[in-house]
Amino acid sequence: MWRFAGKRALAALLVLFAISVLVFLIFFATPGVDPAARIAGRNASQETLAQVRQSFGLDQPIWTQYGVMMRHLFIDRDLTSFVNRGAEVIPQVQQAIPVTLSLVIGAAVIWVILALVMGVLATAYRGTAVDPIIVVLGVIGVSLPVYWLGEVVNLVTQSRLHDTIFAWVPSLGYVSLSEGFGPWALHLLFPWLTLAVLYAGIYARVLRSEMVGAMNEDYIRMARAKGIGEWRVLLRHALRTSLIVVVSLFGLDFGALIGGAALLTEVVFGLQGIGKLTYDSLQNFDLPVILACVLYAAFFVVLANFIVDLLYAWLDPRVRHV
Amino acid sequence: MSASTTSTSTTPATPSAGPWLNAWRHVRRDRAAMAAVVVLILIILMCLAAPLYENYVAHTDAFTSNVNGTYVVDGQTKPVLEASTEGLGLGVNPIGPTWSSQLFLGADNQGRDVMARMLFGGRNSLVIGFTSAIICCVLAGIVGIVAGYFGKAVDAVLSRALDVLWAFPVYLLAICLSVVLINSSITIGPVTLNSGSIILPILIIGIVYVPYVARPIRGQVLSLREREFVQSAVGAGAADLRLLRREILPNVLPTIIVFLPLMTAINMLTESALSFLSIGVQPPDASWGTIINDGVGLLYTRPMVAIAPGIMLAITAVALNLLGDGVRDALDPKARLRGGV
Amino acid sequence: MRARRTSLVVLPLSAMLVLAACTSSSTPAATSSASGSSTSSASGSTATTGYQAAHAGGTLDPKVNYTLQYWQLYQATFDGLTAFKKVNGQDSFTVVPDLATEIPTPTNGGKTYVFTLRPGIKFSDGTDVTTDDVVASFQRIFKVSSPTAGSFYNGIVGSDVCLKTPATCKLDAGVIGDKAKGTVTINLTAPDPEFLYKLSVPHAAINPKSAPTKDAGNALIPTTGPYMFTSYDPNTALVMKRNPFFKEWSTDAQPQAYADEIDYKFGLTVEAEVTAVENGQANWLFDPPPADRLAEIGSKYADQAHINALTAFWYAPMNVNIAPFNNVKARQAVNWAVDRNAIVKLYGGSTLAQPVCTFLPPEFPGHVDDCQYSNPAGTTWQGPDLEKAKSLVTESGTAGQAVTIVVSDDEVNKAIGEYLQSVLNSIGYKASVKAISGNIQFTYIQNTNNKVQISLSQWYQDYPAASDFLNVLLGCASFTPGSDSSINIAGYCNKGVQAQMDAALKTEQTSMEQANAQWAAVDKAVMTESPVAPLITPKLIDFLSKDTGNYQFSKQFYMLVSQLWVK
Repeated sequence: MWRFAGKRALAALLVLFAISVLVFLIFFATPGVDPAARIAGRNASQETLAQVRQSFGLDQPIWTQYGVMMRHLFIDRDLTSFVNRGAEVIPQVQQAIPVTLSLVIGAAVIWVILALVMGVLATAYRGTAVDPIIVVLGVIGVSLPVYWLGEVVNLVTQSRLHDTIFAWVPSLGYVSLSEGFGPWALHLLFPWLTLAVLYAGIYARVLRSEMVGAMNEDYIRMARAKGIGEWRVLLRHALRTSLIVVVSLFGLDFGALIGGAALLTEVVFGLQGIGKLTYDSLQNFDLPVILACVLYAAFFVVLANFIVDLLYAWLDPRVRHV
Repeated sequence: MSASTTSTSTTPATPSAGPWLNAWRHVRRDRAAMAAVVVLILIILMCLAAPLYENYVAHTDAFTSNVNGTYVVDGQTKPVLEASTEGLGLGVNPIGPTWSSQLFLGADNQGRDVMARMLFGGRNSLVIGFTSAIICCVLAGIVGIVAGYFGKAVDAVLSRALDVLWAFPVYLLAICLSVVLINSSITIGPVTLNSGSIILPILIIGIVYVPYVARPIRGQVLSLREREFVQSAVGAGAADLRLLRREILPNVLPTIIVFLPLMTAINMLTESALSFLSIGVQPPDASWGTIINDGVGLLYTRPMVAIAPGIMLAITAVALNLLGDGVRDALDPKARLRGGV
Repeated sequence: MRARRTSLVVLPLSAMLVLAACTSSSTPAATSSASGSSTSSASGSTATTGYQAAHAGGTLDPKVNYTLQYWQLYQATFDGLTAFKKVNGQDSFTVVPDLATEIPTPTNGGKTYVFTLRPGIKFSDGTDVTTDDVVASFQRIFKVSSPTAGSFYNGIVGSDVCLKTPATCKLDAGVIGDKAKGTVTINLTAPDPEFLYKLSVPHAAINPKSAPTKDAGNALIPTTGPYMFTSYDPNTALVMKRNPFFKEWSTDAQPQAYADEIDYKFGLTVEAEVTAVENGQANWLFDPPPADRLAEIGSKYADQAHINALTAFWYAPMNVNIAPFNNVKARQAVNWAVDRNAIVKLYGGSTLAQPVCTFLPPEFPGHVDDCQYSNPAGTTWQGPDLEKAKSLVTESGTAGQAVTIVVSDDEVNKAIGEYLQSVLNSIGYKASVKAISGNIQFTYIQNTNNKVQISLSQWYQDYPAASDFLNVLLGCASFTPGSDSSINIAGYCNKGVQAQMDAALKTEQTSMEQANAQWAAVDKAVMTESPVAPLITPKLIDFLSKDTGNYQFSKQFYMLVSQLWVK
């Protein structure tokens, strides 16, 4: 088990390394991105351009530049942005983390509760009209483009009905939890709901199909035969076994979201989280920030994968031989 | 284009007709899935009829700027893009929905007929969604089967490659590629990639989701590999290729097919997200994503430009998801699919 | 001045200005000893309305930053030896003495300027402004590789050495301070009639000699103006407070400010910024309001919006070195074909833009109304002539060729790009449009390696001189093949026209009036050659909250931030 974990950890490092190299290569293969030209400003003389290139080490071979950037990122921890030259990259990421965490955790609470209720109800009332209605609701949630939903929500709450029923909705942006739970939650309410609609649909679907499958298993029939009540069977037995799948899914999704997968939601609602930081750095072609964001995101994705794999290995020893 | 119909209606034609035919009958009994098929066919027909609509109903050109265009309403000629006259006279508003044959959903910021563009855009969205889903499923099938079957070093390398792909910033790749391709094209086999080509979003979206499909397939092959009938065949000295073809593929194929409609839905949503970030279908061509993106700029004054294609996208995705559920129940009830993005 | 387009370099900029509670008195004189008037306590809290952000406009170093956004703020913080007059309107193009007591008459054939420093001026850290600081500031231009070091200040004696080896820059013979007399002598290698303009932009601002000899980044350099920077985080906000050592020495050069504090916050969507100003949660937004909000601003909030013409233009440079636009008829065809009124519409209507037909914008030195591509003919642009354009394309033999238009991917640029594509198609080309991130589009279209045929770009003046348009954008010196910094995007280098421009520059030494007549002739000659299609001259809309007053607009540096007050 430990050897397996060690091997996988090493492989994870390799994955991160490969991603950083790829990002670097792709960046410099793109014409027009030369950071020196953009730093030097419009109509800079060729001498100035050369000076800037030299002072930023952009005249070095690309692998030297890679090494220098990695050293500044991981060892000196003082890598600075190309665009905002006083701004160190690591504090930017650190500032963005609480925003993303606030968004993702809040949305996760909502979608897990919603999915549990929908999944259990759909299973309990399968064969009646309730089941297909819930299924279709879930499918609709899955099928809405999240940024489109966000824009429409903004249109309704910030403009069309802002003078009437949505007068209580604050303007867009993030308010720190330190300014009070109320304002924090109020500012995040619609971003939470928007993100949760998507995932609630996914999880309700998965949960329902797992539970319906479980209800046909032998141990459920045995439990029923023993005269245990239907709801009790549903909640104590079917739900419990089905949750394993849901939990592993949740691990993967949560990891990706913490890493910035909620990019579009953050952009649409003006939340300065990891996703928005990534988006801005891509728009700016700001390589140091891009690298930091991408590695940060990849770390969580790889970590989530790693944990889920470990869980499977623990449950199913055959996997370990691979 | 005809995403779902081909995937379902051609299945009975495959050699091992028995189980496929059963599956088809199963799907036909599934009312939700059949309703989805009908909706999809309707949407496809609508999009196919786009040129007819453009020429004979709307009498417009969906791809040419119509900034100085006019529109006749109640005998009065009005500009399609109307400058505001109130107060300081700031801003120019395209005409809103007329709910009649011309400019049914109004005009976009170039004065073009949004309804006509939406029908044309649907073609691109459907083609991108379906083609990239096929690419994704084929690639994922190959990678998943090879990794699962050969195991060991092969599996380790492929699995890590999938990890890299999964954690890689697709937007960066897409943005950079679209810049690189402005004046240089890349030729891969018979396909030539140049800027503005629809192949670019197809390839990018197709490849991005490979890990998503390949992982469960790899898992499935891994456990098949341990099964008795495969183990005994290996013991009997059966060739790898033969084993793959005879024992593994038939067992994995249903899973791959189950993924197809779902991936089509996911890919269409992804295409719209890429368009939102200005990568993807290039103007003046349209997809539902690019029209939504155009519409977001007009959201406060002409919300219909963004809302209508969004609804079309959602309806199509719902239908594809329902169809996907039906196909799954028919072919592979145990497949663990999650849908969504 | 740094173009508005370059504000896109940090897209989405999303900056919002919140003025802190202001002195209720309406004359600046009443608060001239600013440190005493600490009236900010009561409503000061309103300045921190909950606006979050994580994005900013680049380094705060006045010698390095080249964005309109920060140059506007530097007007209320930094001073040069000279300054553009801080007043409303056309008068703001006048240069007045700032840290110097008066504007000297150049001697030595126009090559030597002797400035006398005003005594008693202190930096915001309490130290005196001395001639040492002035000398160090000029060295610093080169030490930090200021964007304009090689273009504005390469006429100073010794600058050639400094450009090569910035670290040891001395300017021994170029900038000489005399501490005892309080004078600074600047020697140029050749007379430069535009030198006073160049001294009046922030890159020539006087910083303490202790300022870092590299880009200061987020570090706060002490200021001389009515405000000092007290905190800067490009991810959240920039805070400006009263400089306790500021005393008004010249109302023209540096008037006293009204508000006690300015909070400049970054990072919301522009839509949200507009909403915030409408609701009075912020006083002003930097970014141009999005198209779908213009109508409501123009009607419901008309008395809070201020519109001013800018000395700038949007234009389509055509690469004169590659097909099809290496053919003058093909280029002229584009100028005939483009309907400027359509572009005005796409920009937001006739209140916000005006069609142009000359290279120099209206009301700019050297501009004379003239239009070679108008149907019906006139001195200003009246309408396009598609038939003429088509026949020119046919004559040129370039019909049917593929043309790619490269534009940046923001809404307005993309819309104009799509329109241009339709136009090019209609006159016989096979056009496509390619929208790429505004942050690389500007450098991408400059590099000849990228073989861009036609693009969409903007130019906003640095200072009010015709050469800043014509010589910069179409001069041979601005064309460097294979470089990302080659602002002559059209790649146009015509010996005859260059000679005309050199002559005009020379005439500037004796008579600006005559020189401007020569520039007008250059403009005309250039437009005949048609290396670019001028499209529109834009206007700027400043949208203020209801309780914000005393709006003043300098044509040089835009809204005077220090003069706003809050009721």
